[in-house]
Amino acid sequence: MRGSVNRPPTPDADEEPHKEPTLQEIINIKLIESGEKEKLMELLRERLVECGWRDEMKALCRAYARKKGRNNVTVDDLIHIITPKGRATVPDSVKAELLQRIRAFLTSAAL
Amino acid sequence: MSASDHESSSPRSQLSTHVFGELLESMIVDVASECHRIARLGLERNVEEEEEELRLSAQARVADPSNSSEGNGKNVVDIFGQTHPAIASEIVDCMNCGRPIVAGRFAPHLEKCMGKGRKARLKAIRSSTMAHGRNSRASPLSVYAPYSNSSTTNRIANGSVSADHSQGFEEYALEES
Repeated sequence: MRGSVNRPPTPDADEEPHKEPTLQEIINIKLIESGEKEKLMELLRERLVECGWRDEMKALCRAYARKKGRNNVTVDDLIHIITPKGRATVPDSVKAELLQRIRAFLTSAAL
Repeated sequence: MSASDHESSSPRSQLSTHVFGELLESMIVDVASECHRIARLGLERNVEEEEEELRLSAQARVADPSNSSEGNGKNVVDIFGQTHPAIASEIVDCMNCGRPIVAGRFAPHLEKCMGKGRKARLKAIRSSTMAHGRNSRASPLSVYAPYSNSSTTNRIANGSVSADHSQGFEEYALEES
């Protein structure tokens, strides 16, 4: 289950001409095309596994599934369970490392 | 258009944070979908055990009025709310020699009595030697084969004249059934 889940939507040729792509969209495209996004994902994944963040999230999911009955859980439920705690418990060092790399990419891509 | 590039890093750090947020969200969805898969496919072997343990410990806590910790191994309450002493204290009669034996000591007694242990086998050899000499109706088993049917030998020659004893054993057997 690797790789980015978020993809930009496939453009439809019949639609009216698109607006100017936003800066964020441009950056996203550059990240993907250069392969940097994949590398960043790998780095983030590795760091989050190392520090036990992933295991903590899995434990939350297991507890929720046990309470609700394992056939009654949906992916959406689990995402809602994990997101607040997940965002809050990322170690500062991991966040700093990733942000630094992203900023370096932005600089090198002259954005 | 957004602010020019040579301005302060604030729009850039906004962008960086946004990119980081996207990456983190991907990770979250990743974990969530993996856990969902594990839950729905029942891939976790320990789930039923854990639930069973939770239930049992809750029951035991209810049954035990003093609510002591689980460190007290001997007086733990079972699922019917009963406690058991470490050594069974009921007295049963040995069907081999007829003696009353404490249930907790029954297995070692049977070992000696029926000839699984070393002393009982020696006893069997010695007794069968004497019985062989004394009785014309002695068992056809040779003295030098202590393992074969030692229990039969023992029953015949266990400390008394063979005829009487086997008679007694037959009566006992009938009573049992």
